[in-house]
Amino acid sequence: MLKTVVGHSNDPDSISAITEVLEQCQQSLSGASPQAGILFAAIDFEHTLILNQINQTYPGIELIGGTTDGEMSSILGFEQDSLTLMLFCSDTIAIRAGIGRDISQDLNSAIKTAIAQATTGHTEPIKLCITFPESLSTSAVLILDSLNQALREKVPVFGGLTADRWQFKQTYQFYKTEVCSDAIPILLFSGSILFSHSVASGWTPIGKRGIVTKSSQNIVYEIDGKPALEFYRHYLGKRMPATEYPLAVFEINETHYYLRATNGVYDPVVGSVTFFGDVPEQAIVQIAETTHNSILSASRTSMMQALHNYPGKEPAAALYFSCCGRRQVLGTRTKEEYALTQTCFTASLPSCGFYTNGEISPLEQQGISYFHNQTFITLLLGEA
Amino acid sequence: MESEQIDALVMIKHLERENRILRKKLERSEATCLELEQTNQKKEYLLRQIINELEDSQKEVQEKRQLEQTLIELKQTQSQLIHAEKMSSLGQLVAGVAHEINNPVNFIHGNLRYLEEYSQNLLNVVQLYQHHYPNAVAEIQAQADEIDLDFLQKDLLKILISMKLGTDRICKIVLSLRIFSRMDEAEFKPVDIHEGIDSTLLILQHRLKSKPEYSEIQVIRNYGNLPLVECYGGQLNQVFMNILVNAIDALDELNEKRTVQERKENSTQITISTSVIDLEWVQIAIVDNGSGIPKEIRQRIFDPFFTTKPVGKGTGMGMSISYQIVTEKHGGKLECISTLGEGTEFAIRIPVRHKIDRAS
Repeated sequence: MLKTVVGHSNDPDSISAITEVLEQCQQSLSGASPQAGILFAAIDFEHTLILNQINQTYPGIELIGGTTDGEMSSILGFEQDSLTLMLFCSDTIAIRAGIGRDISQDLNSAIKTAIAQATTGHTEPIKLCITFPESLSTSAVLILDSLNQALREKVPVFGGLTADRWQFKQTYQFYKTEVCSDAIPILLFSGSILFSHSVASGWTPIGKRGIVTKSSQNIVYEIDGKPALEFYRHYLGKRMPATEYPLAVFEINETHYYLRATNGVYDPVVGSVTFFGDVPEQAIVQIAETTHNSILSASRTSMMQALHNYPGKEPAAALYFSCCGRRQVLGTRTKEEYALTQTCFTASLPSCGFYTNGEISPLEQQGISYFHNQTFITLLLGEA
Repeated sequence: MESEQIDALVMIKHLERENRILRKKLERSEATCLELEQTNQKKEYLLRQIINELEDSQKEVQEKRQLEQTLIELKQTQSQLIHAEKMSSLGQLVAGVAHEINNPVNFIHGNLRYLEEYSQNLLNVVQLYQHHYPNAVAEIQAQADEIDLDFLQKDLLKILISMKLGTDRICKIVLSLRIFSRMDEAEFKPVDIHEGIDSTLLILQHRLKSKPEYSEIQVIRNYGNLPLVECYGGQLNQVFMNILVNAIDALDELNEKRTVQERKENSTQITISTSVIDLEWVQIAIVDNGSGIPKEIRQRIFDPFFTTKPVGKGTGMGMSISYQIVTEKHGGKLECISTLGEGTEFAIRIPVRHKIDRAS
């Protein structure tokens, strides 16, 4: 069976924090040996030290992770400036990690390398991929397109882009004992793994509509023939374009929209704004906004639907990927987001998650994966 | 002693940890406070902009509505102008023709009396000749035979009678045309409404008579004892004309669908009733026994440019102009009451005295 344990410490001291986390895990493992793990850490920690400590405790563990804009777990609930680790033990599920480096240089070959590493040792078909790619160097849509292609669109991909506490300057990805940037770590699952998920947002478009008249991948230069920055300044004044006010993007002849949040990068001279994902030319865009209640109600819906969709008896673990824009709007109420998910079931479920710079999941249960902004994704894991 | 020291160390470590966490939390909460302030400011600015946009779009809607209203009014004014111009030209034409015909007809009509007298005198002389000279010379006899003198004597008087009837009729029509056009009455004047209705009917006589393709339309006049009504006589006659033409069209249309037998059994008729409602108001009701007007058409019947007639046959202005003449120019009321299968009534209510008079 799949055994999952979680450790979580809010001690700002790296040694103390990882020691506390490992103690918690050891206690819950009761002697079992973990095969793989996921680590979410605030940006201020000494990450190499932490990774080395984990590897010393569990030599050769298949570990990936990344820096965050907030962490959550079944141990401490929502925390900031904390460290949380989830470990997996199973005899019937194979889990392997891989890393692709320098994605902004050669994305496709980086992803091929990562997949080649993470597929080694699997005897059964790959069923699930979890990833925490860099958010600031490359368009997440491009990353996901390449990953989907490399996995032949047969393996659902889940995860979130690494973050840096709302600074949008430098994020890190973790692979075993290595701290990287501009990289994509992946974890591939095969065997008797069962999973379900759900994605929900809570943002709605408001204000006047504009047409993207000039864009290149994730950089929007002009809206309605004027600098994209003006479109934002009309609504937000002289402040920088804000992640919590994404664009609702309506592609040509589409009534449904998806959200694209800015990564805070903009060019005041050219007037361009950079987003975490691509925004196509001729798409109709509108500023989107939300309220505390609609964010929280979406989080609960996400958990409820994931539980409803779960194919087995009951899940063994839950992973949450929530957008940093949600945390930014929720402020002191952010803790309610995790707390609400816990009201959906009675038994305690080992769970772990982080606030991301963008989320990844399919829309359908088994469909191809998409890149999202301002969403809350619940991923439930278990064993058949 | 040693265990106490250990306990103290543990306590110190614990306190140090708590201290670290608290410091970090303080640092973080200060940052969060700033972020929240900014979040609030952004939200405030966004909402203000959205409200501005909403206000702008409301203004736009308001302006658009005003423009639409102005456009409607302009269209109405334009149609009124066109109609007024048309009616003015037509009125001038009718008045001119009536005036031009009036003199020569009076000349003929007036001289007919003398012509009749002279002819009678001449006939008397001829009869005297015949009495005293029964055997006329051969040449006279031959001429009398050739012109059939006996027939001529009888027929001459008949011709004169028929000429008199003809000129009588021309005089009446000319008078009707003059009454109808009322070119001389650009102001409110006391008018005999019945005279107006009769002159309108006379002009429409050709539409009421039986023709090969249409049956005769019977006109029933139920005239009450109306006082003179202060109004624009010419314009009111326009209203009678528009309503009567519509009624005749409706009855003709109904007859087209009927068999000869049905036409005989159900004669088509227009009833014109006039009455005094009270000291201030009179009513003229024009009722036909046609097939009636459906509700959806009735609701739009007074709309400008609304017509159910084929292209080129109706302008859709007649009823709209009539409505304006009755309601706006005379401060009256024009109602259309109709029951499908039974017929239609147009009720015109007009104040006996002009409003300005009453106010003064």
